[in-house]
Amino acid sequence: MRWWIAGVAAVALAAALPLFLDPLGYAIRVLTLALLFAALGQAWNIVGGLANQISLGHAAFFGLGAYTSTLLLIHFSVSPWLGMLAGAAIAAVAAYLLSFPTMRLRGHYFALATLAFSEVLRIIAISWSGVTGGPVGLSVPFAMEDSFALLQFRSTLPYYYIILGALVLISCVFLVIRHSALGYRLRAVKENVEAAEVIGVDTTRVKIVAAVISAALTAILGTLYAQFNYFFDPDAVFGIVPVSIRAAIVTILGGAGTVLGPIVGAFFIIPVEELANSYLSSQMAGLSQLAFGLVLIAVILVQPRGILVLIRDGVARFRRGDGA
Amino acid sequence: MTFVQAVIDGLMIGGVYAVISIGLTLVFGVMGIINFAQAEFLMLGMFIAYFAWKFLGLDPLIGSLLSFALIFGLGILVQRTLIQRVLNAPPLAQIFVTVGLLIVIENLALIAFGSDFRSVSTAYQTTALRLGPLFISVPYLAAFLMSLLCGVALWLFTNGTWYGRAMRATAQDPMAAHLMGINADRMRQIAFGLGVGLTAFGGAVILPYFTVHPTVGQQFVVLMFTVVVLGGLGSVAGAVVGGLAVGVIQSVSTLFFPIQLQNLVLFIVFITMLALRPNGLLGGAR
Repeated sequence: MRWWIAGVAAVALAAALPLFLDPLGYAIRVLTLALLFAALGQAWNIVGGLANQISLGHAAFFGLGAYTSTLLLIHFSVSPWLGMLAGAAIAAVAAYLLSFPTMRLRGHYFALATLAFSEVLRIIAISWSGVTGGPVGLSVPFAMEDSFALLQFRSTLPYYYIILGALVLISCVFLVIRHSALGYRLRAVKENVEAAEVIGVDTTRVKIVAAVISAALTAILGTLYAQFNYFFDPDAVFGIVPVSIRAAIVTILGGAGTVLGPIVGAFFIIPVEELANSYLSSQMAGLSQLAFGLVLIAVILVQPRGILVLIRDGVARFRRGDGA
Repeated sequence: MTFVQAVIDGLMIGGVYAVISIGLTLVFGVMGIINFAQAEFLMLGMFIAYFAWKFLGLDPLIGSLLSFALIFGLGILVQRTLIQRVLNAPPLAQIFVTVGLLIVIENLALIAFGSDFRSVSTAYQTTALRLGPLFISVPYLAAFLMSLLCGVALWLFTNGTWYGRAMRATAQDPMAAHLMGINADRMRQIAFGLGVGLTAFGGAVILPYFTVHPTVGQQFVVLMFTVVVLGGLGSVAGAVVGGLAVGVIQSVSTLFFPIQLQNLVLFIVFITMLALRPNGLLGGAR
C-alpha cells in the first residue's frame, strides 16, 4: 500500500509543478521532453528490462507512430488521437512480423537484428519521398487556434499534462505486466530460457506479447512527439542514437527492469543534455553527447544495475556506518 | 558487360570490407563481444591517414601502416580499461559499454576536427586501367591489393607464430589455454588491438576514394555487421567471403535499384541471414 501512496503523491507533485513555471517558458519544455523520454524508456523497459531482450531498434515503432498519425492528418484530416491508435496498430503488426526472424535470437544477435530493422524503415522514409517527404521530413499542418481534437496548443502546458498522462499509463502497464503471470514468465525467460521452456512457459509467445505491447506504446509516443515538435525528419524519429539508444540508455542509467528506472534516468540525463545544447555553440554541442557517453560507461562499469541501486547501496553503507 | 564491370568493382571494394570486418569478427571470436564502436576506429584510421598525408606528405596507402600501429596501441588501452571489465557481465552491460564508447569517440572527433568533410588528393586518384571493354579503377585496385597483403600477413601471424596460435587457443577455450601457460588477458588485448587496428587500416586505404568526417562510421556500422553475419560471427575466413559478397551485392544492386536503396538490399540480406543461418553461410547447423 505504501508504494501506491508514494506513486500517487509523485504524480500529484508532477501535476502541480507547472503551476510554478512559465507555461510558455523553456523549463517546462525541458520537463516535457524528460517526461516523453521517461515514457519511451518505460516502453522499452517492458522488453529490455523485464525479458532482457535488448532492442536497439525501438526507433522503428516510434517513427511508425509519428509518420502514421501525421500522414493521416495531412491527407485525410484524421484527428491525431485516431492517428495515434492507427500508428499503434501498425507498430504492433510490425513487431509481430519482426518477431518471426528475431524470436530465436538472443543477446547480441537480437540487438543487431532490431537495429537493422529500424535502419530499413529509416532508409525507406528517406527514399520514398512521394509519401514521406524524404530527407526533409514532415510538418504537422498548423491549426489556427488551440484544438484538443487536433492535439495542438500554443502553450506547452497541455502537452506536459498529456505526456505526463502517457508516462503514468505506460508505467501502470509496466507494473501490471510485471506483477501478472506474464511478468513472471518474462522473468523466467530473462533468467534462463531453457529452464523456462522445461517448466512449461511458451517462451516465444511470451516474448511476442511483450514485444507487441511495447511497440504499440512506443508508437503512441511517436505521435505525441510529432504533435509536440510540429516537425520531424527521418533521422529524428527513426534514428538509432536519438531514439533507440536513448530509450535504452535512460532506462539503464536509472535501472533496467524497475518502474522508477526510466523516470530517474530521463530526469537525470535529458535536462543536462537540453541545457548543454542550448547554451553551448554548435561545435561544442558534441560535448553534451560526449558527457552522455561517459556517464553511460561510468554507470555500467560501477553499477550496471543503475543509479537507483547505487544510491540504495550508498544509503545502506551509510546506515551501517562503515561508509560516509 | 555492365554486369561484369559491377562484379569487378564489387570484388575490389569487397576486399576492403573483408579487412574492415575481420577486426569485428576477431574480437567476437576471442571474447564473445560485439564491438558496436568498431566503425569509429575506421573513422580514426581515416583521420590518422589524412593528417599523415597533410602534414607528413605520406600517401594514405603508406599512412595506413601508421593508422594500424596507433589504433593497435589505442585498442590495447581500451581493452585494458573498458572491455576487460565487462567480459563476464550480462549482455546488457557488454552491449552498452561499446555503445557508450561509440558515442564518446564520435563526439570527441566532432569536437576535435569539426564536422567538415575532408579528402586527400593523389596522382592516381582518377586513373583507371583498361582491360578490353572493362575498366579497373586504380584507387580501388590499390586498396584491394593493400587489403590482400594485410590478409596474408594476418594469416601468417595467426597460423605461423606462437602468439597467433595462443590467440586462437584462447578463442577456443580460455581456461585450457590458461592451463597451458597462456596469459589469456594478454591475448585478449592483442586480439582487440589487432581487431581495431585492422579496421583502422581498412579505413586508411579507402581514403583515396572516400571523404572523411567524424560521423563517417555510421555508414559502415550495419555494413560490417552484415559482412560478419554472412560469414559467421567469429570466423575470419567467413569475413573474407562475407566481405566480397557484400561488395558484390552492393555494387550489382545499383544496376537495378536507385543508389539510395543500395543499403536497403544489404539490410534485408542481413535480417534474412540472422533469421535463417545465424552461424553464417559457411557455418554448420546451430
